[in-house]
Amino acid sequence: MTADFHAQLLHYMNDQRWFAGKGGVSSIDEVVRLPWLDTKDVEPLVRVELVTVLTDGAPQIYHVPMAYYESEPERMAHALIGTYDDPDHGRLVAYDALHDRAAIGAYVLGFVDRDDSGGVTHTVLGPVDIDTETPSVMLTGEQSNTSLVLGENLLLKVFRKVVAGRNPDIEIHDALTRAGSTAIAPLRGWMATEPRDGRQGYDLTMLQDFLRSGTDGWEYARASVRDLMMEADLHADEVGGDFAAEAERLGGTVARLHGDLAEALQTDTWGVAEVKQLADRLRKRLAEAVATAPELKPYAATLGSAYDALATLETSVPVQRVHGDLHLGQTLRTIGGWVIIDFEGEPAKPLAERNALDSPIRDVAGMLRSFDYAAYSMVLPSEMTSQERHRVDEWAERNRTAFLDGYSAARGEDPRAQEVLLRAYEIDKAAYEVVYEKHNRPSWVNIPLSAIERLATA
Amino acid sequence: MTESEHQIRPESDDPNWFKRAVFYEVLIRSFKDSSGDGVGDLRGLAERLDYLAWLGVDCLWLPPFFPSPLRDGGYDVSDYTDVAEDIGTIDDFKMFLDAAHSRGIRVIIDFVMNHTSDQHPWFQSSRSDPDGPYGDFYVWSDTDDLYQDARIIFVDTEASNWTWDPVRGQYFWHRFYSHQPDLNFDNPAVHQAMLDALAFWLDLGVDGFRLDAVPYLYEREGTNGENLPETHTFLRKVRTFVDDGWPGRVLLAEANQWPTDVVDYFGDFNTGGDECHMCFHFPVMPRIFMAVRRESRYPISEILSQTPDIPKNCHWGIFLRNHDELTLEMVTDEDRDYMWAEYAKDPRMKANIGIRRRLAPLLDNDIDQMELFTALLLSLPGSPVLYYGDEIGMGDNIWLGDRDGVRTPMQWTPDRNAGFSSATPGRLTLPVIMDPVFGYQAVNVEADLANTSSLLHWTRRMIQIRQQHPALGLGSFTDIGGSNPAVLSFLREFGDDAMLCVNNLSRFAQPVELDLRPFEGVRPIETLGGVEFPAIGELPYLLTLGGYGFYWFRLPKNQEASRP
Repeated sequence: MTADFHAQLLHYMNDQRWFAGKGGVSSIDEVVRLPWLDTKDVEPLVRVELVTVLTDGAPQIYHVPMAYYESEPERMAHALIGTYDDPDHGRLVAYDALHDRAAIGAYVLGFVDRDDSGGVTHTVLGPVDIDTETPSVMLTGEQSNTSLVLGENLLLKVFRKVVAGRNPDIEIHDALTRAGSTAIAPLRGWMATEPRDGRQGYDLTMLQDFLRSGTDGWEYARASVRDLMMEADLHADEVGGDFAAEAERLGGTVARLHGDLAEALQTDTWGVAEVKQLADRLRKRLAEAVATAPELKPYAATLGSAYDALATLETSVPVQRVHGDLHLGQTLRTIGGWVIIDFEGEPAKPLAERNALDSPIRDVAGMLRSFDYAAYSMVLPSEMTSQERHRVDEWAERNRTAFLDGYSAARGEDPRAQEVLLRAYEIDKAAYEVVYEKHNRPSWVNIPLSAIERLATA
Repeated sequence: MTESEHQIRPESDDPNWFKRAVFYEVLIRSFKDSSGDGVGDLRGLAERLDYLAWLGVDCLWLPPFFPSPLRDGGYDVSDYTDVAEDIGTIDDFKMFLDAAHSRGIRVIIDFVMNHTSDQHPWFQSSRSDPDGPYGDFYVWSDTDDLYQDARIIFVDTEASNWTWDPVRGQYFWHRFYSHQPDLNFDNPAVHQAMLDALAFWLDLGVDGFRLDAVPYLYEREGTNGENLPETHTFLRKVRTFVDDGWPGRVLLAEANQWPTDVVDYFGDFNTGGDECHMCFHFPVMPRIFMAVRRESRYPISEILSQTPDIPKNCHWGIFLRNHDELTLEMVTDEDRDYMWAEYAKDPRMKANIGIRRRLAPLLDNDIDQMELFTALLLSLPGSPVLYYGDEIGMGDNIWLGDRDGVRTPMQWTPDRNAGFSSATPGRLTLPVIMDPVFGYQAVNVEADLANTSSLLHWTRRMIQIRQQHPALGLGSFTDIGGSNPAVLSFLREFGDDAMLCVNNLSRFAQPVELDLRPFEGVRPIETLGGVEFPAIGELPYLLTLGGYGFYWFRLPKNQEASRP
């Protein structure tokens, strides 16, 4: 029976965007069922379940909140997982709780009444009031997590792939919220499993302010590029949808974010030896990238010389906690200005690496790459006329410059002064992008590749 | 004859009438000439009240029509209690006012508190007789060193706020032109003179005043001479004076400041406001232009989110264009450069820190944009103030001096002088617009009346819808954001009346997904056509809009009951 349920569960998970095992051979290794949450004797029964899936032999733990009914409510058909025989309640029908309005109320109640039953603990930064009258709405477009808007002004981010220890998204939001940073959406609290057998718990959800006026920075920037491309021959600074003023303000926000991070969390300084180690790490990553993407080969030597320049840089580099995976898609334009979201770092990296200190120049390089991406994402480089290429380059250059100007003005130091480091990080990012696109969107590989070409000749 | 014997009062006695009113600014000299002398006059304006009533105007705002040397469009007043000779007489004014009131149209008049013309007898007396009754009516000084922190407003023409008067042998203070000396509000006799003048017009029956240039009444060393506490004390005095004798009349402040400073002109929050009933919200206007040019809602959303709450008996006044330049003081330097580049391609289009253009030429005569702008004007929070001629898409004449380019005669017909006057064309107060696009042969009321798809008919229809929906006048404002930065969407709600306004600020078609969860199950009804749209469901509500398109939806609360 359990085997049947596991098969149904795996089948359901395999259809979800957050499931990372697609394409591999997966099996459920273990399901840890936490105690029932207090649902005040109202259907459905709700609990958190941690599902360990082995994909091609590698384990990954997923957080799946479940809702159980005695019957099969028609309205829940789209979130049906399967039937489950419960030792206490008999045969029940299981659903994904995050698709069930009735279950979500119980799932988030602990933030309000601080009831830590159900094997989970809640930490709040102040009293929390959740409007459970207004139905919640699930945001679309997310890859690895599920986010719900609760009421008018709260966002519940549900981590699906969980690892033991503090999630950096929570850690950084917590520190920045306490420091009063305006560069983020303030954190209200988080939910984690209780530590068990001396092992750390898993962070399951975080609750923060929902910025309902927000627009995704990536879409906003692309709207500007689209506007430019609709004009026959105007320059980027002449069209109505010019983005440079926004790019400059965004630069200011990222600079303030870095200032806030440096103040609230650990900082350090890399000496000459550590900078050399950085150059070695980057060189190693480049070699790996070249091995996967032979397109990089012609540039490998020149790109490597950029890392040589870094290795011989006789200077120290201040390091601190950074965003780690900063690009336009991690920015929101709100009516109060720009806000940076999603501090989980590059999801593919192990936790220790994501938490490691780094130069804020890495984030700056990420943003510069992102402007390049936005510019080229409207028309693929391979389909571009030379005139179009000239114009999107102009857009990218104009906005990269505006971003750097805004950053310099707010930070008091210009990233362009750290030319060698900035270039090294940009190369690293672009090489990573080439590999990523090769695997995921082969038709886009020319976007980072043309950047590689430019960086190699610079 | 006492006032109660002759006066016709407007029908409604709602003291908050101004919150739902559509205002219309009309320059008497440029509207209709009844005497054939080339200058519009009060009798001419009275003749056209039927047109204004047809359009749906609730209240006229008349810029100054007092005796004046007309060196600043009449804002240089030389007698506060008379009518300029070329415009008419006090009896003409009474006749006009009764005719307006009998059509349900109220009238507010401009009142210039800060300064007079240098031709005002008070100033002439003050300069020639320093010890006489008017010797202390103005701000005199032996040096031009005082109040250096006060900025110069008309930077194009004035080098200093002080000008030497050879007659009195002293400098006099002026925040605007050097022919407009500032009155000395430290002198109680000036207060009394102002209250007496207000009483004169209130007794005649005017429904309120637009108080010109109120932030500058006082000057104090070490300050910028704007928004001083003494100014607010004086405004409270004026409010009490008006409320005591003539309840239901309004004070509308012109304070070209940031909203956070302007709110002070409403007065005490807890008592519902004890200074002006209304203030102009200046930054909204350039932000609308900015937002459409940038194809981004943020310039508008930002300024509205930064606008503080106002006392409950108060209201904002908003406008797209008026007789002054498009003021760019309320945008950042970078944005100002951009606006100049975009909207004032010819340097003559710039005036002071603004742009001297009418709505239609500012928008390249694009009917879609004119409709979008008007829809925003009629739906954003605040009472809309239309500017005469913009309802037919009139043009401007940038070759006229100062701000006269946007003050040319109203275009009534394709006949001589645009039907404005029977005078010899050369005698007209200002020449009519004659260019091929905006000339009166093409753009006039007669043609627009005959064409039911004209901007004029459309504007009238929109005003009607606005008047049917208290939410658009009295309602709360909620910016609902949405997935698309080019689309500005907001809710206005008042009691059971809920309006959803969705505006595409981009020239291209756009989709938008709106979070309308509180209205789940409601079927929005588009108000221009009465068409019912699909019901709002669990998922974000998807709408598509054409370039510069917009919707005004009614969100009926008791839909089942209202259906047949």
